[in-house]
Amino acid sequence: MTDTRYIGSHRARPDAADKVTGKVRYIHDISKPGMLYGKIKRSEHAHARIVSIDTTRAERLPGVCAVITGYNTPPVAVGFLRDNSALKRDKVRHFRDEVAAVAAIDPDIAAAAIDLIEVEYEPLPCVFDPLEALEPGAPLVHEQDARGTSVTSNLVPMECGHDSGDVEAARRAAAHIVEGDYSVPLIQQSCLGTAGCIAEFDGNDNLTITAKTQIPFLAQRDFNRALGEMGLRGRNSRVIVPALGGAFGSGLDTHCYEFIAILLAHRTGRPVKILVDREEEFASLSPRQSARVKIAQGCDAQGRLLFRDIEVVQDNGAYASWGATFPTVMLLPVTSLYRVPNVRFTSCIVYTNNTYCQAMRGYGNPEVTWAIDSNLDDLADAAGIDALEMRRINCNEPGEVTPMQMKISTCGLRECLDKTAEHLDWSEKRGAGSGPGQTRTGVGMASLIHVGGSGRIYRSDASGLTVKLDDFGNVNVFYGGVEMGQGLHAVLTMAVADSFGVLPEHVHINQTDTATCPWDVGTHASRGAFMSCNAAILAAEKVRARIFSACEELFPAEIDRALTKLRRDDPELGVPDFDFAAASRADNFELRDSEVFLRDGPDVPWARVPLGRILRAMHFRRDGEMLTESVFYDPPSDLPDWKKGIGNMSACYTYGVQGVEVEVDEDTGEVAIKKLVSALDVGKVLNPPALRGQVYGGIAQGIGYALYEEVKTEQGRILNPNFTDYKLPTACEMDFPIVLEFIETDEPVGPFGAKGAGEPGLVPTAPAIANAIQDAIGVRIRDLPITPEKILAALAKRG
Amino acid sequence: MSATQSEYLRPKDLRAALEHKAATPDARFIAGGTDLLVHARRPGATLPQSLISLRAVAELNEVTVVGATLRIGAAAPLTEVARHPVIAERLPALVASIDVLGSRQIRNVATLGGNLCNASPAADTAPPLLVHDARVELQHVGGRREVPLVEFFRGPGETAIEANEVMTAVLLELPPPNAEAAFERKGRVRMDLAIAIVAGLFELDGSVVRRARVAAGAVAPLPLRLTEVEERLTGSELDDDVIAEARRLTTEAISPISDLRSSADYRRHLTGVFVERMLHGVAGSSVTGRPGA
Repeated sequence: MTDTRYIGSHRARPDAADKVTGKVRYIHDISKPGMLYGKIKRSEHAHARIVSIDTTRAERLPGVCAVITGYNTPPVAVGFLRDNSALKRDKVRHFRDEVAAVAAIDPDIAAAAIDLIEVEYEPLPCVFDPLEALEPGAPLVHEQDARGTSVTSNLVPMECGHDSGDVEAARRAAAHIVEGDYSVPLIQQSCLGTAGCIAEFDGNDNLTITAKTQIPFLAQRDFNRALGEMGLRGRNSRVIVPALGGAFGSGLDTHCYEFIAILLAHRTGRPVKILVDREEEFASLSPRQSARVKIAQGCDAQGRLLFRDIEVVQDNGAYASWGATFPTVMLLPVTSLYRVPNVRFTSCIVYTNNTYCQAMRGYGNPEVTWAIDSNLDDLADAAGIDALEMRRINCNEPGEVTPMQMKISTCGLRECLDKTAEHLDWSEKRGAGSGPGQTRTGVGMASLIHVGGSGRIYRSDASGLTVKLDDFGNVNVFYGGVEMGQGLHAVLTMAVADSFGVLPEHVHINQTDTATCPWDVGTHASRGAFMSCNAAILAAEKVRARIFSACEELFPAEIDRALTKLRRDDPELGVPDFDFAAASRADNFELRDSEVFLRDGPDVPWARVPLGRILRAMHFRRDGEMLTESVFYDPPSDLPDWKKGIGNMSACYTYGVQGVEVEVDEDTGEVAIKKLVSALDVGKVLNPPALRGQVYGGIAQGIGYALYEEVKTEQGRILNPNFTDYKLPTACEMDFPIVLEFIETDEPVGPFGAKGAGEPGLVPTAPAIANAIQDAIGVRIRDLPITPEKILAALAKRG
Repeated sequence: MSATQSEYLRPKDLRAALEHKAATPDARFIAGGTDLLVHARRPGATLPQSLISLRAVAELNEVTVVGATLRIGAAAPLTEVARHPVIAERLPALVASIDVLGSRQIRNVATLGGNLCNASPAADTAPPLLVHDARVELQHVGGRREVPLVEFFRGPGETAIEANEVMTAVLLELPPPNAEAAFERKGRVRMDLAIAIVAGLFELDGSVVRRARVAAGAVAPLPLRLTEVEERLTGSELDDDVIAEARRLTTEAISPISDLRSSADYRRHLTGVFVERMLHGVAGSSVTGRPGA
């Protein structure tokens, strides 16, 4: 690798110009010749038997090309537990359940046709509360599993827990113990760009699907399996990812609407587009699940944590998607945030007739960090220890192996704590109390640990990367990860430029397409930059070795030619001093800014050969070659044993702290954030503006989670499926100073020393705010979001 | 929303607009469109067959002052209303209510008349206009009439406007220079429909209230004048007891509902807090037009 002249610098994103001028093509902007529009008929009940579906009136509507139901299409199973199906037969388990679908020549006709489909239901008893769903005699959401075996409970068959040390003995030995019941609500990923897809078949029954996904290759696997179920075994699906307007985890699974588009495209023989509008996105896609967290932590008289005991109950909703696997990531903070020797964790995921849930930024981590770091402040209070000191006493350290057997390589948590305290004037402001009038001010903080070197939740945690260099010195990059607004293409451009030694203008990141890009497990777990940049570095080693090896033969001739040309222009030119012997040894070459030169050669223009010239020479010589290389980077981590909650799931770990100063109005219950400090150990800052953007965005989402956001439901129906009724913070709410500190711990396995930083921004925000509120007004809020009404209710109780 | 068959007319003068309306009773007037188009996109809703834009009608877009009478064209965009020098100087509560309405982009197209004709109980500009005893001017082909704003609102989404009429202006008398205006408001976030609004206008003689006008929004089916509160305050010194009683009378006069944005109890509590704060502000230094959150 050459020196880093682009990594760490401020450069415009390669996609910036197209985004600000409106040239980028999102799924909404794409159409195909002959394309039809698909629309889905959803259930009118939270739980009911389907008695009959009458589609005759819809079929007769002019412009309708196909009407499909679960009864006139092959069954297509959906979800990793195969407990869902593209179109429901026999029964519906939530309002979002798909009972029929239409393809028509325009969206209005499709919508009109949907209204003409008549479905007769026989309502069934419903269950919406996960604890009630566990009681004997509760209505069963699924009477049998995917294999057809009868089940007797609403428990989702997922086992994830942890039990290390001796929690009971530690509980007996503890000087102070604090328990608490915490909860987090259902919230929406709220991507600016809503979801959609276009499915089309070629004449050989191979599928091409343009889809909003973060997992093109796992989606390809799912779609190929669906083709098999449709009688097209052996046919292939090609997944193409358009520009995405945000994903935040919403693209981590395949969706019923995608399988329905596939069924409709196959039925009609024409491309079929299904777009999900904002209301549908709220009502019929999968949000972040609600959870209840019961926690107890205990420490000795000196404040050293002795044990942590956590029980989580999650409302899974009607079908299993990745929300059901959140406990696997909860294990991270549960076992490894602060040093705690005895840890017990149990989780239980319950089917209900609510909407089903899946991934969102942080993936279980914010849910449980909410309880851990709120409860830790209360424990510090009980022990009479300052909350910052409590965190220092129990701070994680480099080289530590946690109860989960996570191997902590670099860890900047202590520095993050100190920086946060310093910017927050902790020693002055903590416990200082009053503000003007009816307001009270307070400061609080919370920490985070997250996977920094990808997270192994699948047999392969790899990322492939292919580069194709051309005659003009361009480096075309084919990477299976997904640019969804986070800046992946920007950082990968910089990493390729630096690791190859080419100009960033010559680096072209191509569209993610399963037909051209090598396999990648998906863009999640804060892994995009870590994985793609590490793959780029591996590819650079191979490419540079081949270029330098070819230069042994080609470089002297290029110099000779350059000198001949110079002499033609200037016959007086003598014989310049050039070591042709050195120019015939591969390890003497260097490539920088798209020019090949001798590392110890003269620093003159004629001694530097443009990369394109070398590449052309490689191409056009006898037995010529095109320079293409593929690498496959799989990080050094282990697939944990989820039942035991043991395993080093990431190659390294990111730590951070957020501190908040709040002003609470005791009359109105309003919380105003006056200042927020984020200190994050990212290993190395790769792309300063993009990293700041990630953290600012995470903080905004964290504030939404803390103070505003909640998908409200009544008997399973979503009541606020729009941005009038579901409130996100906007720029107006972000009107306070934010101090960002990045701690560079130079992670050995990280590309250029970097660790993942995509998700951490939102992880500790809510507990930091709650801790600051507690400092201000002496009340502990345990249920998100922290609304003014909850504050007033708590104040009334406080007296 | 099906936008396929709608007709869009853009008359240049009021007469043409009114004649279109008389000829096409189903037509809807549209100004900024920030409510109408949002409603039309709701599931099951449709756009009216015919839309008559008021944006090119010059006289509906003007703000004029004649003597002490202010006339705000009903189709004047809110941004321009708030920027008008007389309004900016003399009507701080109205300006404060405009500053918190929607987003800047919304305020650039949304109009004062539209905010009133939409007749949302949470219309931000209604309470400050109510305390200024504003009137609205309604016109149809055959004539014009003025209706006090307090009589204009009939219920959520319902007004005194007749099928053939259009609101042409909002009229009010500028308050005396020593009058103090106040505005308090809260949504869940700042860019949100209000969950409670309070506006007030006070004329004091020393420490005695000579005239008090208080109005509330988002806490009843209509934007309300709180006459019981006004009567209690008139002739009183603004001491803690009077303020506490005004707060009590306020919470009795309103009839908030619980919805997705707030519980009725919180709306009631907040309205009381706002009245109390407003009165403490008036009793203390002259706090004029404190923008709400």
